[in-house]
Amino acid sequence: MIVVAGLSHRTAPIAVRERIALPKAEIPRVLTQFVARPAIGEAMLISTCNRVELIVAGKNGPASELSAVGRDAVEGLAALASGVRQHLYVHEGVDAVRHLFRVASSLDSLVLGEPQILGQVKDAFETARVAGTIGGCLHRTVPRAIRAAKRVRTETQLGAGQISVPSVAVDLARQIFGDFRGKTVVLLGSGEMAETVAKLLKTAGTRLLVVGRNEARVGVLAAAVGGEPRGWADLSAALTEADVVITSTSAPGFVVDYDTIHGLRRKRRGRSLFFIDLAVPRDIDPKVESLSEVFLYNIDDFERVVGETRQSRAREAQHAERVVVEEMAGWERWAESTQVTPVVVALRARFSRLLHAELDKSLKGRLKHLGDEDRAALAIMLDAALNKLLHAPTAHLRQVVTDKDFESYRVEQLMNAVAELFELDAEPVSVPSTPSRPAPAPAPDAEGAEPSRRRATGTNGE
Amino acid sequence: MEGIATAAFYLGAAAYAAAAVLFFLDLARREGSSAAAVVAPVALGVGATLHAAHVVTASLFSRICPVESLHFSLSLSALILAGMYLILRTRFRLQAVGAVVAPLALTFLIGAQFVGAEQHSITGVSRLLLILHITANLAGVGFFLLAGAAGAFYLVQERSLKEKRPTWLTAKLPPLDALDRTEHRLLLTGFPLLTLGVVTGGFFASRLGPAGGAELLRSALGYATWILLALVLVMRAAAGWRGRRSAYGTLAGVLCVTTVILLYVIKSTGASG
Repeated sequence: MIVVAGLSHRTAPIAVRERIALPKAEIPRVLTQFVARPAIGEAMLISTCNRVELIVAGKNGPASELSAVGRDAVEGLAALASGVRQHLYVHEGVDAVRHLFRVASSLDSLVLGEPQILGQVKDAFETARVAGTIGGCLHRTVPRAIRAAKRVRTETQLGAGQISVPSVAVDLARQIFGDFRGKTVVLLGSGEMAETVAKLLKTAGTRLLVVGRNEARVGVLAAAVGGEPRGWADLSAALTEADVVITSTSAPGFVVDYDTIHGLRRKRRGRSLFFIDLAVPRDIDPKVESLSEVFLYNIDDFERVVGETRQSRAREAQHAERVVVEEMAGWERWAESTQVTPVVVALRARFSRLLHAELDKSLKGRLKHLGDEDRAALAIMLDAALNKLLHAPTAHLRQVVTDKDFESYRVEQLMNAVAELFELDAEPVSVPSTPSRPAPAPAPDAEGAEPSRRRATGTNGE
Repeated sequence: MEGIATAAFYLGAAAYAAAAVLFFLDLARREGSSAAAVVAPVALGVGATLHAAHVVTASLFSRICPVESLHFSLSLSALILAGMYLILRTRFRLQAVGAVVAPLALTFLIGAQFVGAEQHSITGVSRLLLILHITANLAGVGFFLLAGAAGAFYLVQERSLKEKRPTWLTAKLPPLDALDRTEHRLLLTGFPLLTLGVVTGGFFASRLGPAGGAELLRSALGYATWILLALVLVMRAAAGWRGRRSAYGTLAGVLCVTTVILLYVIKSTGASG
């Protein structure tokens, strides 16, 4: 079983997160240090701007003592940076697996459904694989988490749509223009949101014109957003050149009216024009919308698109949680089958040892006249008989542990009964402790709060 | 030879069908990239190659010049449509348009089977001129169908943006500007071919003498298409008519072209029946 230890946007402010954030090149070395610790046998590290999480398994694989593994993980993480210990959380066993599945599926992200986390989990797994710190437990668990995340992406709309006004504005502009290179953006007025949109479009390769009445303020704003300052007298020329117009002035009336845009149509030669009106009261006359190839979105329009997307994401989160539970069931079957393996191995070892001891006795006594070929044939025959003998009980045991109606404690009783009946305790194989079954899916909320039990190591934990 | 032609036909149809399904799956995908996006154009390319093989082998087997038979002409126009799309998609973001092109290619390939493969024979008309006439018209039809698909997608995308109800489906459509540019370039390429078709068609009409009602309707629609598309191009150059108006004009032209093709098919089916 595995343990997840770390901190995220839920437990640590950015000032703490940035202290522990690791450069990608450092991660293999850190992973090697972790697996050198007494209890940790496998490790991978997810390090993003919103979380640093260590996923580890014990040196004894499924049979490891999880609390010891968790302690080692916390000590290792606390040693990476000062002042992080009280922000760390630890998930063990099934809770850890569920947490990992939810993280990969973007159900634990700051922005539900954001697409980057899946790639980050894949990268973390690959980095650990190359560093040689992935073993049986993580190899069986992390790919399942990735599969769950892929299902969430393909079977739900959790990642569909945009989620903030600036990102909505830029995505809509992209739906109109596609490639921003060579396009001209005009910024009228200042305002945090307007400047963010302008900066995003500027970064995407547009030419940015900042137009205003106050020359000094226009100069400062243009320098801040990387645009070219223009006076108010140049507004008409700027609108002729513009592909996107972002407005956020404090003017009491319309700054751009219908007649102005209608009058510019011939000069603009039918090019599309996208107005992003973020001002209240509005800067753009709503009548301009009736002109062909003119698109006007005001703050209410943007908020509605954002709101619809958020509602849709909250609904989709429930669907995504169901996908996680389904995928967890697959992992659970594997986890429970690991209980059977040591019993089956011990059973086979005991029977084999007894049968071969009897054969050896006979070969030294009444059958000592047999040649090497006959002796080898007898050994093969014994093994074949052993396989046939153990096939039915092995299959039955495996079926029982994967039967969802068969309670965990009954699985443990059955294993103990088999061990006692055939005196398997003498065999040199350990039987792992029973993993608890996953709890039913938590009721997801818009915040995507961690639903499962979680043990915080510090006072600021949940 | 017949066996190869038949096999190429069935395999080509299967590849077109697979491409249509994959393009549709890619269009229906909500987000991110999928294997369908990569495999769909490959399937369309395979379909077009097999289609070409079918046309070549079948026409050799039946000893009919492909452009002199309505059966092969219809088939060829689909081939041109698919080929042009595959070339254009390397330059423009037109993945979604494939969801129209692949089913159209499949429909034309299969639809052509129901039309007689008899050769056109017009007495007193140069065979070379006839081939030129049909080839120009076929290529023009291929271009216009693709331009029509781009125009239709433009209108869907534009409506969604104007109504301020962008959805995950419209977010997957190509950007408005890309659709508009593609449509314009296809019209610019197809228009000279259509002009050649109209001029040579007029020449044939003058040689053949009085025409029946169906021929007159067909000719009228051909001229209407030519005028409509000329108008779209002229107004765009002179008055900056782009986007919605250009898309409506193109779709009207495509409607006329489709009607002309249907009239040919009906006539041919009636003649062979």
